[in-house]
Amino acid sequence: MRRRPNRIYKKILREMEKAIELHPDYADLHNQLGLLFILQGDLKKAEGHFLEALRINPKYQEAAKNLGCLYLDIGRGTKAEKIFVTQLKKYPKEGTLHHLLGMVYLKKGREGEALSRMGKVVRCSSYYEDFYKKNGLWKRGRLDLGQKAEIFLKRFPKNYLSTQIHHWVGLYLAKKGHYARAVQELKKAAKLSPDQFLFHANLGMVYYYRGSYSKAIQEYQKALKINPLYGMGYAHLSYIYGLMGKTRKALWNMERAVGINPNYADLHYNLSLLYSDRKRYKEAISELKKALQINPQYLLARVNLGVLYEEQRKYYLAKKEYKKVLQINPDDRHVRKRLERIS
Amino acid sequence: MLKEDFVIFSNIRRILIRTSIDYSRMDFGCIRGVVYFRGLFQLPPQLIGDDQEKVREISEKTLFSLEKKVRNLPGVSDVLFQFENWRKERGKWIPIERKKKVEEVKEKRDEEKTQSNL
Repeated sequence: MRRRPNRIYKKILREMEKAIELHPDYADLHNQLGLLFILQGDLKKAEGHFLEALRINPKYQEAAKNLGCLYLDIGRGTKAEKIFVTQLKKYPKEGTLHHLLGMVYLKKGREGEALSRMGKVVRCSSYYEDFYKKNGLWKRGRLDLGQKAEIFLKRFPKNYLSTQIHHWVGLYLAKKGHYARAVQELKKAAKLSPDQFLFHANLGMVYYYRGSYSKAIQEYQKALKINPLYGMGYAHLSYIYGLMGKTRKALWNMERAVGINPNYADLHYNLSLLYSDRKRYKEAISELKKALQINPQYLLARVNLGVLYEEQRKYYLAKKEYKKVLQINPDDRHVRKRLERIS
Repeated sequence: MLKEDFVIFSNIRRILIRTSIDYSRMDFGCIRGVVYFRGLFQLPPQLIGDDQEKVREISEKTLFSLEKKVRNLPGVSDVLFQFENWRKERGKWIPIERKKKVEEVKEKRDEEKTQSNL
């Protein structure tokens, strides 16, 4: 995969090289540098960085997939096969790994094994059945390895790596505050792989950073359509509606976020704020209690609980919570004032 | 006008994201217009590097800017910072570890003074 890198990629590469001098043991940085060197066309260096990422963190699945795809793309099928087989031993239900291994078999002319492997893909992830159907590779309940499939599947490793590059570069630019350019990159990633919910979610996140709330909502909704169990997607939608002052919609989404992730104390806390704002005190108190059950050190939840008890004129309970807060943090002047007022 | 706590909370979240603060080890919340920050205040290491003086300078500036932005939000009546590693005293931001070290040096000097006086 050889491309002519543009200025922004070169600039990022220089920044990353400096960063890796400071933090040579960050596996993430090596993986990202590997992707950038692919863009530069320096595949030897790319391979070196992926291998280093895996040396630092042998469980680093993304780096393994990237390295495997690189080998697949440059025709080193045996090395790619070894990587995917090893990864599949660790993650036997990972659809993409089965798919990539199937591709290796196809390249090696082992059609039967490829078909059986891709059958496993569909059993692991319903996403792939739709993916094959959309690309015209799925006929009569099985994969059809015609000419179309050959052309499409040949492109797959390249597309996979391009998607990873655009996705990562998009996130990197967003962190640096270059939102417009970040959106371009993430859109490229989402276009190459429209069914990846994470790309839409991250695109939504960048729109949110940028202040384009309607677009952010659209992208999060796309992400949730693909993956309805993406609880944090609902939470992010709730924050966006909160910023827009649409608290009714914020509440609806936060309730779903909590339903999917009932063990996140901060989501219970957020939901309690929404109930409390709508004067649904009983429910707000119940959410705060759940947050404290998950994390008894969650001081903000305890202060809120005290305030809600106080507003409900349950002074005995309020005092109890305020005293607990002041034991941990005697400098809290607001809680002290509240305690004095009801004592 | 009193704003709803969740609206204030969502605005603070967005401020934090845009100020490049690493808020992964920080708690924040809003209680009847009073905003709380707790936990550890940190900036990403790749952003600030290893120079301790520079880290301190950027952290102070970021904290001042954060406070100003949060106080300017409609509905915010007060902001309480309860960070484990930074404290505001007489209008100045002081890193707590550094403060401890300064105090330790001062104590040591005092001890030496006492010993020499003896």
